[in-house]
Amino acid sequence: MSDKDFKTWQCRTCGYIYDEEKGDPDEGIAAGTRWADIPEDWVCPMCGTPKADFDMVEI
Amino acid sequence: MKIPEDIATTIVDPKAYAAEDPVQEAFTKLRRDIPLGIAEPEGFDPFWAVTKFDDIQEIERQNELFHNGDRASVLTTIEADKWVREVMGGSPHLVRSLVQMDNPDHFNYRKLTQGWFLPQNLRKLEDRIREIARTFVDRMAELGSECDFARDVAFLYPLHVIMEILGVPEADEPRMLKLTQELFGPADPEVNRTGEDVMVDPKAGFDAIFETVAEFMEYFNEMTEDRRANPREDIASIIANGEIDGAPLDHLAAMSYYIIVATAGHDTTSNTTAGGLWALLENPDQYQMLAGDRGLIDGFVEESVRWVTPVKHFMRTATDDAEIRGQKIAKGDWLMLCYPSGNRDEEHFDEPFKFDITRSPNKHVAFGYGAHICLGQHLGRMEMRVLWEELLPRLKSIELAGTPRRTEANFVCGPKSVPIRYEMN
Repeated sequence: MSDKDFKTWQCRTCGYIYDEEKGDPDEGIAAGTRWADIPEDWVCPMCGTPKADFDMVEI
Repeated sequence: MKIPEDIATTIVDPKAYAAEDPVQEAFTKLRRDIPLGIAEPEGFDPFWAVTKFDDIQEIERQNELFHNGDRASVLTTIEADKWVREVMGGSPHLVRSLVQMDNPDHFNYRKLTQGWFLPQNLRKLEDRIREIARTFVDRMAELGSECDFARDVAFLYPLHVIMEILGVPEADEPRMLKLTQELFGPADPEVNRTGEDVMVDPKAGFDAIFETVAEFMEYFNEMTEDRRANPREDIASIIANGEIDGAPLDHLAAMSYYIIVATAGHDTTSNTTAGGLWALLENPDQYQMLAGDRGLIDGFVEESVRWVTPVKHFMRTATDDAEIRGQKIAKGDWLMLCYPSGNRDEEHFDEPFKFDITRSPNKHVAFGYGAHICLGQHLGRMEMRVLWEELLPRLKSIELAGTPRRTEANFVCGPKSVPIRYEMN
């Protein structure tokens, strides 16, 4: 999979954006981590919303 | 476990928040000895004081188990609660904004304006916000070498931004600022409506808040009529013409929506902006670091938000029996989420009493957590980042020119005066 395929996902509650290219190192998620590889019980680091309540967005 | 009376009194005392040290000392003792205990200050119904970061998040995350609206959503004395219920037909709330709502209303009402406040929409507004920031930086330069940064810049810049977004004409901004200060500083004679100490006559203090809310509603009622006839690209038009389940917003909820945007939409950012500069000037090493590396502006903004924590509490009511930190919380219990305490929690932050613009990670609870997390958090951050991007390069020197002072308030509180001396390019 090429870098061009990186996607961004947004929390419906607070607007936090997870960018696969950047990951979230503060949360222990390395840059390049795909959304599908984030555990299903992961929650939004800003507001605690479940992973299922994120939408894929184009920023 | 019951909290000692002197500490319980301190954590509800507006003067203790203005002085800050007394309230932070009280919270530090509570985190150490009674992290979750019952407070019974005179004149208030008993409530749990939630002082730990993790407990605040756990309660906010469970928004069905801990409601905002079942009892007063901000600290209210027994007397004031009685007066509110008399006026509002039994409801404990003078207004019915997102802060007082639970689902399904909270979800539906929040959804109406959420899109406006998301980062992708705010990006479109950034150029205009930068223009506004520049006018305030220029105004600071025109003032010469001294000003009150709170009064002359920090109060007015976020006010202008949110009023433009809401759709309030510039000529009405001073009135909006005054009403906001009356609403959030009812205990402070320098900003409240009567100019009197509310402890002398609490009923007069309550009547003054009621008059402030009524004046807001009269203003926004006219705005609703205007926007229904002439919709524009502003938040007022969304509120005036919005529908929930195919019907217009109920009147009180619509008026309250305007009020929350017109008050919380600027006062919290103003407090954080003024308090952030105050902290920076008391920590010259941090200022030197920031002046030499503008890449630290985002970190400065985030640390300012944690440091100031302008919203001091919200209340929650348990909808069922629950357990937090091994303590039994009974259905109907009232809980005070003590945000300034969570943001100084030694178990969550290294050196929490150090103002550190390089703090990373800096996950705090100043914007809340869970479904009720601050709707305007991205706007607030952007406004502050843009202001500092414009102001810092213009500063040749800056220092405090007097002792800053905070508003006396136990709900929303921050600096009301930050005198500074400076040289600008």
